[in-house]
Amino acid sequence: MATVPWDGAIPELLREHLGAAVLDTHLYVDQPFAVLTLAAMLPALELLHAEADFDYLVDITAVDYPKRECRFDLVYIVYSHSRNQRVRLKAQVPANQKPLSAVPIFLGANWLEREVFDMFGIEFAGHPNLTRILMPDEWSGFPLRKDYGIIQMDNTWVKNNLGIESGQ
Amino acid sequence: MTTSPDANELVLNMGPQHPSTHGVLRIVLKLDGERVKSTECIIGYLHRGVEKIAENRTYVQFAPYVDRMDYLAAVSNGLGYCLAVEKLMNSVAPPRAQAVRVILTELNRIASHLLWLGTHALDIGAITPLFYTLREREEVLKIFENYCGARLTTHAFRIGGLQYELYEGFEQQVNAFCDQFPAKVDEYEELLGGNRIWRERLRGVGVLDAATCKRYGVTGPMLRAAGVPWDLRKAQPYSGYEQYEFEVPTRSSGDTLDRYFVRLDEMRQSVRIVRQAVANIPTGPIMAKIAKVIKPPVGEAYVSIEAPKGELGYFIVSDGSTHPYRLRVRPPSFVNLQALDHMAKGALVADVVAIIGTIDIVLGEVDR
Amino acid sequence: MKQFLRRFLLLDLLEGLWVTFRHQDTRLITTEQYPSQRPAVSERYRGAPRLNNHPETNETLCISCNLCAVACPENLIVVGSVRNAETKRKDLVTFTYDLSRCMFCGLCEDACPVDALELTQDFEIASYTREGLIWDRQALEEGPRPTQYRQ
Ligand code: SF4
Ligand code: SF4
Repeated sequence: MATVPWDGAIPELLREHLGAAVLDTHLYVDQPFAVLTLAAMLPALELLHAEADFDYLVDITAVDYPKRECRFDLVYIVYSHSRNQRVRLKAQVPANQKPLSAVPIFLGANWLEREVFDMFGIEFAGHPNLTRILMPDEWSGFPLRKDYGIIQMDNTWVKNNLGIESGQ
Repeated sequence: MTTSPDANELVLNMGPQHPSTHGVLRIVLKLDGERVKSTECIIGYLHRGVEKIAENRTYVQFAPYVDRMDYLAAVSNGLGYCLAVEKLMNSVAPPRAQAVRVILTELNRIASHLLWLGTHALDIGAITPLFYTLREREEVLKIFENYCGARLTTHAFRIGGLQYELYEGFEQQVNAFCDQFPAKVDEYEELLGGNRIWRERLRGVGVLDAATCKRYGVTGPMLRAAGVPWDLRKAQPYSGYEQYEFEVPTRSSGDTLDRYFVRLDEMRQSVRIVRQAVANIPTGPIMAKIAKVIKPPVGEAYVSIEAPKGELGYFIVSDGSTHPYRLRVRPPSFVNLQALDHMAKGALVADVVAIIGTIDIVLGEVDR
Repeated sequence: MKQFLRRFLLLDLLEGLWVTFRHQDTRLITTEQYPSQRPAVSERYRGAPRLNNHPETNETLCISCNLCAVACPENLIVVGSVRNAETKRKDLVTFTYDLSRCMFCGLCEDACPVDALELTQDFEIASYTREGLIWDRQALEEGPRPTQYRQ
């Protein structure tokens, strides 16, 4: 299966306002996605929210590509109730750049961003309370990174808190 | 229990071992007298790293693990996962498999709502409904057991269709359930919905209006109780839901009582769907023609379904190998639980219990 | 007025009580008296594993193909075999199955090409030790021994 170009009101709107920051707009298995630069991500979310009635942030997540120069892909999925359409926005996260938090636009982004931080160590600038959410607060390491082994754990934490040598 | 520097503020720790938190949820309540000033949820006690496990299993091998997220709706989880992988492989399950999937998922919705109803009533102080709801749930679980050999973590579906043919007497058993169940729902109404204490206890508690729901990303019965008739089975039908006639029950005020009514109505609608589906299950194969070794082509897809608790989504990135490169679960309970703070602010401590119950969380899914 | 009377006479509460009262009928009892009465589990129930022998020759059906071990998500099956010089086939020597990690998903059973490995209807597999849950070939072939309760 190949990707097919995605045309319509949404990609036009994105291109009109963000110009060259929109790197790619395509459909894959009938699902539209747009690739943006990281700096354009929040403006794009704002734009979709305000102009195109995308009022529901479905999910925020990340994908780790350790061999790539910009290691992480940040993925936002937004949905519009009135259009009944779901759109995926993706951006690569350069090492020296922090994505902006989407909490001012979508309150629901709060925990989702915390989870991305918890699992991948991507920090969101302007987040009200960026702490670990699923892992213990003092845990070191980010479990969903590709270089984190499946049975790896923070042995110091385990020793200090559980009083055993190792969890294995 | 500690007092903070502000003499009027009392910090109360609720959970993780608290019977009405439905699992291991810990909530730190800041109180002013009996009123809640703010809440903070501390979650993760049940974190098993499902997404990490997925990266280390083949597509087929991962299927049983999804049952263990929302273990009260294992069949729905399985359906979402299978649909997502099928989407990536650009295949669809044959019509017979789709119909059976619909029947089992709708029965699972009933089972999940029944357990919710029983425990929610128990939290509020009504013990009797739990016995009755568990009795009806047992009937559903028996159907699951007869069909696939397990009651809770069913692993009922496989990628591409079904593993098991229907057993002898499936239709009769399902029809028998559908015949007697609506009367039981009326009975619950008589016990609870008609009861003055129940109504007064829940009315106006934990109000969440439509706009706030959307800002938090709340889905499922909670959104519908706020008056938004949004249901993925209608909005973006999957697995042949477009063939069945049913309504999306809504209410307007978005309080705990309305969510109770919405869920009861949903059970009635589910029975309607099951009846239609079981009346004409197509004949034919139950498994699509797919390769023995499942290797979706490089690409990514997000597929979501209407689970009993809300939108359950799977975002899968494939690198063309037998293992998912990345698998993300968008859990409804996790996102819905965020709205707890909004609902509990200004409420009484005793209402917090009702509010947790009404969100209908399963901690296995919140923490994954 | 009607509403008031209803409330005053506690009719709504009595209706609920009437529902509970209706359930006093002994024919409506659905509780199972486990363990004195054993539940009827379904035919397809996925319970304790068993390694089937051929009913006539009493030799194992397992051909040591290792497919079950490969299919298992938890990697808990270990098949030990030696190559038989005469028949050029593999003969099964050991077979361990770690029940403590099994999630009874049935993938191993589905993978087995000769129906040697089977998940049976027995569900009483509790053990006092972790080691007691690691079943060897003998335990698997004898199959589960359900506890008999006396009256
Ligand atoms: S039932 Fe599942 S977990 Fe248990 S041994 Fe078989 S494949 Fe492994
Ligand atoms: S799949 Fe069956 S035949 Fe092959 S090793 Fe396992 S039990 Fe033996």
